[in-house]
Formats: sequence, C-alpha cells, structure tokens
Amino acid sequence: MASSGPQTCGPCQGKGLATFKAGVWRENPISIQILGICSTLAVTGRLENAFVMGGALIFVTTMSNLFISLLRSFTPRGIRMIAEMAVIATFVILFDQFLKAFYWEMSKQLGPYVGLIITNCILMGRAEAFALQNPPLVSMVDGLANGLGYAAVLAIIGFIREMLGTGNVLGHAVLPAEWYVPNQLMILAPGAFIALGFLIALSNAVRSHEPGQGRP
Amino acid sequence: MKKSLHTISYAAVLGTACALLLTGAGRFTAPYREANAKAEEVRNILKVLDVPFELGASSQDLLDVFKRCVRQERRGDLTLYIYEDPDAARGVQAIAVPFAGQGLWGPIRGFLALKPDMKTIQGVTFHQQEETPGLGGEIGSDWFRDQFKGKTIEDVNGRAGIRILRGGSASGPNEVHAITGATMTSERVEKMLNAAIMQIAGEDIHHGQ
Repeated sequence: MASSGPQTCGPCQGKGLATFKAGVWRENPISIQILGICSTLAVTGRLENAFVMGGALIFVTTMSNLFISLLRSFTPRGIRMIAEMAVIATFVILFDQFLKAFYWEMSKQLGPYVGLIITNCILMGRAEAFALQNPPLVSMVDGLANGLGYAAVLAIIGFIREMLGTGNVLGHAVLPAEWYVPNQLMILAPGAFIALGFLIALSNAVRSHEPGQGRP
Repeated sequence: MKKSLHTISYAAVLGTACALLLTGAGRFTAPYREANAKAEEVRNILKVLDVPFELGASSQDLLDVFKRCVRQERRGDLTLYIYEDPDAARGVQAIAVPFAGQGLWGPIRGFLALKPDMKTIQGVTFHQQEETPGLGGEIGSDWFRDQFKGKTIEDVNGRAGIRILRGGSASGPNEVHAITGATMTSERVEKMLNAAIMQIAGEDIHHGQ
C-alpha cells in the first residue's frame, strides 16, 4: 500500500505519486503479486491484442475503483463483494460491447478474454485492498496505476512473443526471414510461461539492486 | 431490521443502476453489432466461395457483391449458397453450406464450400467462435483452414465424413491435422463438419451442367 509522507497537500493528500509508483512498479500486479496470470498468458501472442487487453484493464480498474470508493461509506459490509462484482461487471460489459460494435476484428481476436476480466483477481484485489479504504481520487490513481502496470507487462510479453514467434511486430516484419526461423513455441502457451518467467526474474533482479527496496 | 432494510435497498438501487446502464449501452450498440455480424457472415460466404472482392470493402459493398454473385437455395433443412458469376457465364463455381455447433467456450458457426462435384472441398471458414485465442482460436487461422482445400468429404471407400487427426497421422484424402493443445475444439469442429456433410450426402445434391 502507498505510504504517505508528512505532506498532505494536493487532490490526493500527497499519496498520489506513491500510490501510482506502487501500482506500476513496486507492487506491480503481475510481476510482484502474480495476479491476472490467466489473461496475461492467453492474449499476449500478438502485441496488438496485448495493447487492447491492457487498455480494457486500465479502463475497468480505474472506473471500478472510482465507483467502489464513492460508494464505500454506503455499502453494507455483508454484500460488499457482490456490490464490487456488480460494478466491475458493468464496466467490463460496457467495454466488451464497445469493442463488438466498433472494433469487431479485435473483439474476435480476444474472444472470451474481455468478458473474463470480470474474474481477474486484480480488480477484486484493488477494490478490497484499496478502494474500500481510500477516497475516490486516490483510488482512481491506484486503479489507473495497476491497470498501467498490467498493461506494461502485457505489452512487453506480447512484443517478445510476437517478435520471436512470428518475426513480426504489430504485423510488420522486423526479423528478416532469411536468417530468422520463427520459433512457434513462443506463440503457444509454453512460450507465454517462459517469457513471463524471464520477465519476473528480470524485474526481481532489478528490484534487488534498488536501495532499500529488496525482495520483500 | 433497519440494517437489513438498508442492505436490501442498496442492492436494489445498485442493481437497477447497473442494469439500466447496460441496457442503454446494449441498445445503443445493437445496430452496430448486428451490422458487424451480418457483414462478417457475408464476408465469410464470399471468401469461402472464392468470390473476388476488395479487401477493405465496406459492409454495403460486400452485400452488393453477395446479392449479385450468390444465389440462395433451400434443400430440406439446408441452405445452399451457390456462386454463379453473372458476368462470366461459367456456370456454378462453388456451393457453400453452413455448419454450426457447440465449441469449447461458445457456439461455433462457419461455412463449408464445395466444388460443383459436391465432393471436393474448396474451403472452410468460421465466422463465429469464442475458442481460446492462440489455441482453439487457431481454427480461424489460414494454416488450419487451408489444410481443407482440395480434400474430399468422403474417404477412399466413398464413405462420407472428414477426419481431424492428431499431428502427423493425417494422410488420407479426407484427413487434416488437428490443433496442438486444442483437442476439444478440434473434436467438436470435426463433429459439426460431419453433421453438415451427412446432410449434404442425405440430400444427394448434384450440380453442374
């Protein structure tokens, strides 16, 4: 969680930047908390899919955190999780309908994974751990940061898998076919595990060199 | 008492608000989604029949080409889409039949196109599927669909049916390779294709001169 310093100015009571950094890097939902792995593995075969999926999650985490935070003082404790689900599901379905109406091709590519964002642990996790205890604006920042943290990891894995698996990036050839034989393994499910494993190892290695921020 | 009243009214208000929002969004996007689905179907029929059309053609252009070149005919429960180019007067070029069935995550719908001999496969497309992207979703990719081209819908002994087999073992004129990691999807696609093939065999359709 974001630890605020002594300063309490600004729209987020000085917690904005710390919250943002925690979501994107220090407590990154994928590489540190290992949440949302299912979709991370499933949609990163192509970079474009990873972008849209990341965008979907940024939209949903930001909006659901905002509304869950706005409602937090009225929400009865007994049904808070169902209420969170209702808010999350609403935004996920909104995004899914938008894709189906205006980005049909992309919607086809992503198949069921946009709808399955409803069950993504990151959303429930942020709602329970942050939005229920914090005011709306800083909750929104937290949602945005976690969405960005997720989207960034997806984009990196999508880039690696598409490039090594097909020799293309965003459909444009980058590795010349003369000497590069596309490694189909990277497009298949094991490729996603391998890429994610290396990425988590790398981010842990970088983190262990950060002063005062070793492996938790 | 007061507490449960609050809980119930909260649930009612939140539920209603979410439902209203989604209904509004659903109604707003419905015409776009329907147009997309219709254009997708038409695009697939044209593609599977090898009807030439421009790659970036709009939905309206696709419908125009479809109306001009493709004739629909009903045989029993089966709708045939018959490609007969009105300008070239070369007779029937190909015949497509729809197939449908349950996939792993949702319904799969597509078209199977045959050459006028009603035995040789011209192509296969899937215009609706929600299979796992990268695994079952590969049924929509070129490598999987291209395998069907030139195959026949009966084996060497004339028994109707097509087989989707595990990698390496597909060699017969009615056999193609399944998708690695998507056994369920492959099996289901095989089943729905065969259901359509049985219908064709049952209707005993003959085309040509």
